Amino acid sequence: MQKTPLAKAVSAVLAVLIFVSILFPIAWMVMAGFKGKTEVLRSPFQFFPDTWNPRNYNAIIHDHQFVRAMIVTFIGAVVFTLLSLFVNSLAAYAFARLEFSFKRFWWVFCITPLFIPMMAILLTSFVVVAKLHMLNTFAVLIIPGVASSFTMFFLRQFYLSYPAATEEAALIDGANRWQIFLRIFLPQSKAPFVVMGTVSFLAYWNSYIWPVLTITDPNLTQIMQVLGNFRSERGNDWGLLMAGSSIAAMPTVILLLIFQRYIVNGVRIAGMK
Amino acid sequence: MSVISNNKVVPAWSSLAERRALRRRARRKGNLQRSNLTAYLMIAPMVILLAIFVIYPLGYAVWLSGHRISFYKPAVWVGLDFYRFVLTDPQFWHSLRVGLTYSAIVVPTGLVIALLLASFIKTLSTGVASVLKVTVYIPAVIASVLTANIFVLIYQDQGIANWFVGLFGISPVAWLNDPSIALPAVAVPGLWLGFGISTLILLAAMLDIPSSYYESASLDGANAFQTMRYITLPLLRNVFVFLAITGFTLSLQEFLLPLIMTQGGPVDRTLTPNLFIINSFRDSTPYATSFSLAAALLLFVVLGSISLIIFKAISSVKAVDG
Repeated sequence: MQKTPLAKAVSAVLAVLIFVSILFPIAWMVMAGFKGKTEVLRSPFQFFPDTWNPRNYNAIIHDHQFVRAMIVTFIGAVVFTLLSLFVNSLAAYAFARLEFSFKRFWWVFCITPLFIPMMAILLTSFVVVAKLHMLNTFAVLIIPGVASSFTMFFLRQFYLSYPAATEEAALIDGANRWQIFLRIFLPQSKAPFVVMGTVSFLAYWNSYIWPVLTITDPNLTQIMQVLGNFRSERGNDWGLLMAGSSIAAMPTVILLLIFQRYIVNGVRIAGMK
Repeated sequence: MSVISNNKVVPAWSSLAERRALRRRARRKGNLQRSNLTAYLMIAPMVILLAIFVIYPLGYAVWLSGHRISFYKPAVWVGLDFYRFVLTDPQFWHSLRVGLTYSAIVVPTGLVIALLLASFIKTLSTGVASVLKVTVYIPAVIASVLTANIFVLIYQDQGIANWFVGLFGISPVAWLNDPSIALPAVAVPGLWLGFGISTLILLAAMLDIPSSYYESASLDGANAFQTMRYITLPLLRNVFVFLAITGFTLSLQEFLLPLIMTQGGPVDRTLTPNLFIINSFRDSTPYATSFSLAAALLLFVVLGSISLIIFKAISSVKAVDG
């Protein structure tokens, strides 16, 4: 399609406008982190701070509660992501490539949770972990969410599309199913692992209600707990809150930017079903 | 170690082809038997975890919602009493109305924004398009908790929302404290968090439409609106059904934004169903657990049936396949 210079200019301006308005709330958060207590709510609106004062950012990265929560949440998110990929890819491989008795039943069993709304099981899951004496442990943050029907389904779609020839050749050469999974399928799973790994990391990092229900130990407090309860615990210190929020948003945005190619295509796969 | 375990005595007179077929059959049988143990070991971690943390809690919820429990006495079966309490609680119905209103704001608006953005991105050159694709995804990775706080800041009395409406001569609005505005105000961050993924899914679907369709349309002199109306939209019907249903089920379950932004206020105007359930669960009145579980399971049923109605309604007109 040929475009006139005018059409080109209009679409360039539109693209910039869209870019700016989508990112505005994030930019506003970062800017608010540089502003003083009265400056942050000053009318008329002024985007850039009077002076680039890193005071809030300095204060928050020396705040013990905040730093501890960042570290603890990061470790939890990494462990969670690895466990989730391991558990779900094993099941995904079995459902995609193996024949076994009652396969249909186990498939329905593993995929049904996709259709169960979170709230229907949230409250009794809390009762269950309380009975298992898991409250205020690292395990309660990680284990209950590891098995994910969505991740398993996504990985299974990938393994289904994988050509059978290599696998058959390996079987004839005497490899067993575990070796095939570990040596052939895992090394080929980079793309779906990146997509689902990012999804798992984000789910853990951004979770709020589950830690609020299960964690009261300050040593295990998660980052979103700190920021979600910030205003009720520390009052409306907007500059400090927004500085903390900017830092807490960084890992998720960085992950997206690093893996953008995989993730944008991953959306495509998920949308097609 | 060989996978081929053919111990059968093969008559010498059998042809090579027959022997091959036998061996193949034996191999397949061997695999099937070996696979049982391997496959069960492979799905075991997932099955066990789902059993403990999804299936059992669901069954337990169903059981608890029919029983009155206390510390000292054995549980008493009360049938559907708690469901009756929930269904006669005006606050439950109110929260359902709030939830449906919230969905009615977020889902159609989100779809229109996604459609406009996707159509626009489709016309751009590859470089600019890929920048915008990542840009629309960025809000989706920001935590709800952070977004809620950012928008509370934006909605402050001296915040930028009021500065902005001031440009049009409108006097300052109490965004989160005005009963008639609070819910739409909470819906804005909800939209911001959700439109990106729909945009990318729609864009992917649009790129799958063969360009020959558009070429013949332009040969026939169709304008942009006609092309959208008669080619793009009908071909995207299935994707719209998918996005509308997932959008609806997700938005009806929203509670984090109102929990952080308004705690359900003012006068319960942002009390979504899940927020109502969490509040009842945290309530210290007796049998709060059974009551909130009954409400959660009822919502489950409502969600399921409305999704089904939407699905039927949108797909009743036969979908056109590209």
